[in-house]
Amino acid sequence: MEAVGFIDMTASSTFILFLVGFVGGMVSGFIGSGGAFVLTPAMMTMGVPAIVAVASNMAHKFPKALVGAYKRNKYGQVDIKLGIVMGIFAELGVLIGKNVMVDIRAIFGATGTNLYVSFVFVVVLAIVGGIVLKDGLKEKKGSLDAKKSPGHKVPPLALKVRQIVIPGTMIHFKSIDAKISFLVLAPLGMATGMLAATIAVGGFIGVPAMMYFVGLPALMASATELVIAFVMGLGGSVLYALEGAVDIRLSMIILAGSLFGIQIGAIGTTYVKDYVVKFVMAAIMLLVLVSRFFYIPGYLSQLGRIDPIDEGTIRLLNGIGEGALGFALVFGAVMILHALYQGIREHRRELAAQPETAAIDAATARPLTAMMAFERFLVASDTSEFSAAAVREALGLARKCDARLQVVSLVASGLEYGGAGNPVLKEELAMAQSHLDGIRQQAVAQGVVCDTQVIHGQIVDQEIVTAAERSRTDLIVMGRRGRRGLARMMLGHATARVIGKASCNVLVVPRAARIEGRHIVLATDGSRHADRAILATGQLAQKCKTPVSVVSVIDGEESREQRNKAETIVQRAVDYLRSQGIHAEGAVRSGRPDGEIIELVRRKGADLVVVGSHGLTGLERILVGSTTERILNGTATAVFVVKGG
Amino acid sequence: MGANHRGAESTWGALAGTVTLGVLSGGLYLLLYLYEEQLELVANLIRQGQKGYVVIPIGIALVFSFVHGAFTGRFWDILGLKARK
Repeated sequence: MEAVGFIDMTASSTFILFLVGFVGGMVSGFIGSGGAFVLTPAMMTMGVPAIVAVASNMAHKFPKALVGAYKRNKYGQVDIKLGIVMGIFAELGVLIGKNVMVDIRAIFGATGTNLYVSFVFVVVLAIVGGIVLKDGLKEKKGSLDAKKSPGHKVPPLALKVRQIVIPGTMIHFKSIDAKISFLVLAPLGMATGMLAATIAVGGFIGVPAMMYFVGLPALMASATELVIAFVMGLGGSVLYALEGAVDIRLSMIILAGSLFGIQIGAIGTTYVKDYVVKFVMAAIMLLVLVSRFFYIPGYLSQLGRIDPIDEGTIRLLNGIGEGALGFALVFGAVMILHALYQGIREHRRELAAQPETAAIDAATARPLTAMMAFERFLVASDTSEFSAAAVREALGLARKCDARLQVVSLVASGLEYGGAGNPVLKEELAMAQSHLDGIRQQAVAQGVVCDTQVIHGQIVDQEIVTAAERSRTDLIVMGRRGRRGLARMMLGHATARVIGKASCNVLVVPRAARIEGRHIVLATDGSRHADRAILATGQLAQKCKTPVSVVSVIDGEESREQRNKAETIVQRAVDYLRSQGIHAEGAVRSGRPDGEIIELVRRKGADLVVVGSHGLTGLERILVGSTTERILNGTATAVFVVKGG
Repeated sequence: MGANHRGAESTWGALAGTVTLGVLSGGLYLLLYLYEEQLELVANLIRQGQKGYVVIPIGIALVFSFVHGAFTGRFWDILGLKARK
């Protein structure tokens, strides 16, 4: 094989690559496509051989796809099985596509692969750009809006595909609750992989294939595509890296800019109309097409496939190609930044016109009494089963306490939307709103006053805490998504982070938990956090007429002095609860606090654990650990975490 | 007062987290710059048949993506650039 040349990395080429990555990322976030269709030609224009441009592009994309797939899977948008099946076939496609490239290179040299990649670009961008432009024009006229239905309809082609039964090849997919033969998926996956290995953008085939052939909603198709992108991207990167074609310096500089740009693009989509996104997308695609088109005569001439063209003419044609690409990049960047600037100005004007209730501080507005307020609850809910129990118990508790309920649903934006874009965000917003409408109906049926709100942001736990503070919430009710081992250490526990950051109390409801007022276990260590937990337990036990077991656990080697102190702490709590007319008993135990508390919960058949929070966050929590978090991970019972105040 | 204090704490916490990730990310890019020649050598060694070295570019891609991705994810948020609600 001919040696693969890497370009020299000078200050100016590094800066240009960063800028190209930034604009490519911005385009990618804005139009909901990989953005690689801008990056690959841009690298080629800078003198990077086609095979290195494609390989390096793949290497910067696959880890982004992994992060995106992981995040969107949390929102139940990914059909992992379909993604893996398609990914495996895509991998085969990548292998074929890579071999085609390597063979072309071996026979025709670098110019051959440049011609091949350019030709595929021209054909694919003409088809996809044309479709997008047509869609945008239709949408501007309003015909698409008129046709839009609230629910997802299975396309006729997908219905026909599901009717193809080939014994021994049928696979059931949960997302569509239907069986599809893997022999039908094979060509779709392979075509996706081949395209990815050629121009580094497999999504042009993968997403429409899953929408129209499989019948997946756009939201799930784009999320599942991230699994395919990861599987084939990893495989493709390894295959190309084995050829020594991955210039990792190039990949990482592109990545640096791209990750900054992608956020701006994704945020920009929330400020503009759908058809604007489509026009920008079509314009960039067609400009890139023109750019690549002007390089083709030169390549054909160099390969001797047409009458020789003189050097001056080739330089002129290449110059036009470079100009078209440069214009595409500048045009994309200006359009997106302009949309973002206008949108933010407008949004700020709207916010300025709103009353300043949000600015009222939570603590100063709340009466400073020993009694805790149980008047405003906030429950964070998405469409997953994890939050269903939280919604159910929040409704029950709000009814008992006569509290006002605010239900928020999260639509997270960020890296995972690099391959999704505006239509997907809009669909997700609509889904979240319809989910909230369903909960509001349940609340009305149970006589609970309920407000709903879709919240949208990057750091999910921070958004919940901000929403709680804005609405002066007394209690946040959350489901629990357990993470264990390394994942918990690296990524943290979203629920634990909310507990750490929130100024109000937090009720964590695992999937199987039901608070029926059977028994409360109250853990106390005599701290001010625990004192507030005693007050809260008193109020809850009174409202629900529930017996209480107070427990204090002595950690490590106990001394008589420690035991006496613990017994005094427990007795103090028991005395207080009894003075409130509550049936209470106390116990001092020795051992690991979380283990002893969980064991007592099991023995008493308790349906609620009340603990005070020490609010450890970040590195402190990782290093020191948190009893509260270990209890959260170790029990299927609801846990009421009382903040120290 | 309490909530104000906590609000300030969480903002400073988010800022500190972002700065830490930014420094980590910058450090990784500094290493990339310092070891640029060795990385080109790695690609040459792979081409010459030492296929085991392939873990280096793949590992670099994963680590950079996680660290720099986490940093940029928070970066615009800290600067107040948010999606329209």
